Amino acid sequence: MFCGALFTTGLRAQHPQPWNAPARFARPDLDSDEGGLWALMDRQERRLRRSPFVIRDHSLNNYVQDIACRLGGKHCPDIRVHLVRTPLFNASMAPNGMMQVWTGLMLRMENEAQLAAVLGHEIAHYLERHTLERLRDIKSASAFATFVGLFGAAGAIGQLATLAATFGFSRDQERAADRIGVLLMRKAGYDPAEAAKVWGNLLAESKARPDGGGASTLPMFATHPGAEERNETLATLAAEQPGGTTNATTWRERVRPFRSDWLREEIKLGQYEESVSLFTRMIESTPRDAELLAARGEVHRRHGGDRQFDLAVADFRAAEQIGHEPPEVHRGLGMIYRRRGASREARASLKHYLELAPQAPDAPMIRSYLEELGQ
Amino acid sequence: MRQLTMILSMLALAGCVAMAKVEKGERAIGDRLAVKIEGAWNQLDGPELGPAQTWTMEGLPIDQLLLYSGVKDGDLVHASGGDGKRKDFAFKANMQADEIVGMFEGMLTRDGSSFKLTRLEPSSFGGLSGFHFEYTLIRKVDNVVLTGVGWGAVSKGELFAMLYMAPRLAFFARHAADVERIAMSAKIRQSAQ
Ligand SMILES: [Zn+2]
Repeated sequence: MFCGALFTTGLRAQHPQPWNAPARFARPDLDSDEGGLWALMDRQERRLRRSPFVIRDHSLNNYVQDIACRLGGKHCPDIRVHLVRTPLFNASMAPNGMMQVWTGLMLRMENEAQLAAVLGHEIAHYLERHTLERLRDIKSASAFATFVGLFGAAGAIGQLATLAATFGFSRDQERAADRIGVLLMRKAGYDPAEAAKVWGNLLAESKARPDGGGASTLPMFATHPGAEERNETLATLAAEQPGGTTNATTWRERVRPFRSDWLREEIKLGQYEESVSLFTRMIESTPRDAELLAARGEVHRRHGGDRQFDLAVADFRAAEQIGHEPPEVHRGLGMIYRRRGASREARASLKHYLELAPQAPDAPMIRSYLEELGQ
Repeated sequence: MRQLTMILSMLALAGCVAMAKVEKGERAIGDRLAVKIEGAWNQLDGPELGPAQTWTMEGLPIDQLLLYSGVKDGDLVHASGGDGKRKDFAFKANMQADEIVGMFEGMLTRDGSSFKLTRLEPSSFGGLSGFHFEYTLIRKVDNVVLTGVGWGAVSKGELFAMLYMAPRLAFFARHAADVERIAMSAKIRQSAQ
């Protein structure tokens, strides 16, 4: 995991050490602690495969799997990517090769290289067998006895694995994963400078919160004095040997068919400041994107308030001007006009919405508003 | 990670939830809402529940009926005391039907579950003009797909609402007609007695 509480701090002081990827891992003996860990993860993976939250689209899965493979090199056959529909920023890789990438993370990536930065970091944890290391740390501590008492010997390994994941990796492990992640990116031809940008963007989003990022909702990220430094040190690592590709256009094209769903899920989170910050950043990089403007407008509208309604109307109007705007733009406009008592405009917008989305779930409700507004 | 929290909260839930039988007949929910039920339900009480009354036929986590009576402007529609990391959802007196549904959607997806609105239409509730909605919820905890229905109306700036959800295959169909009759029986008084 990209665990927040354990941000690295002293990376800059470290001298880069030569690093070679280990050989592919053989399935460990089932009687060993490592074997127990794998069995547990295999069970989780079987459950995950059946989960309705998993995105099954082959083309998107293959695309992300290919990126992971380029980073993993000879370990490629052991890495299995699962895309999970959850609107939060998270990715993880289990010791058995199961990698999970959440859609909230995918939405936030600006290009292939940024995703590669996250995947590379996770693969590094895998290659260095950090989870096992962590498990053994905890096992040697007194907590293990308590768990054996509570869950029995077999259950205890599972509980410990959960616990290991809860506490996340150590600072040294995170530091190593950052360093190796950058190496993997470079080897795969990606611009390692994008790694620092992932953190910079996330930091900006977290700082947009009304509490300035105190209790973050991003599971991979909590504010810690080390966050800014990590960002910096990653940039320094990248600067040692700059260059590489970002594949921004390919990335945008490949995720485009899924983005409206991801945007909708983000809007539903109801985290006004963070969503506005995220969508504003996305709009800045692609200003003529009606879907993004519509999304930001909807976030403003849902928040409510006069100023927010003005901002929403501005975004909706801009989306409309670009064209191919989602139907919700007109519903949003109509609802704001209705609330403001602008009946004529409300009618026109709501009608427009129904024309574009006659089968929408809320069409009966909108029709009743139209009746109430009169012809 | 999430699992541990889940296990802990389930343990907490198991330890703290009290269940009481709700007999058939006319039942008052808070000061201003009354419903008539034709068969007995079970009412749950516990720190993770409320402000709605939580009823169940099959037992949690299978099905649940949430009854809201007079939620005031600014009040949360779910039990507070989360970890502070999840967004809270509060009722606002000037909310429209779609916003109220959006609020419930937010509440139901606080744990990462997935909500899909399948219908929203005008409907009377408790003798007031309100709305009716239907949804599908994929519960994050166990991946179970639930079907849900809801009714709501706002009176004097206070929200009255009723939500029912159950696994879509067997349980929802079993109780849907009962739930609908309860919704139709609802009466909202203009003022508290
Ligand atoms: Zn990490």
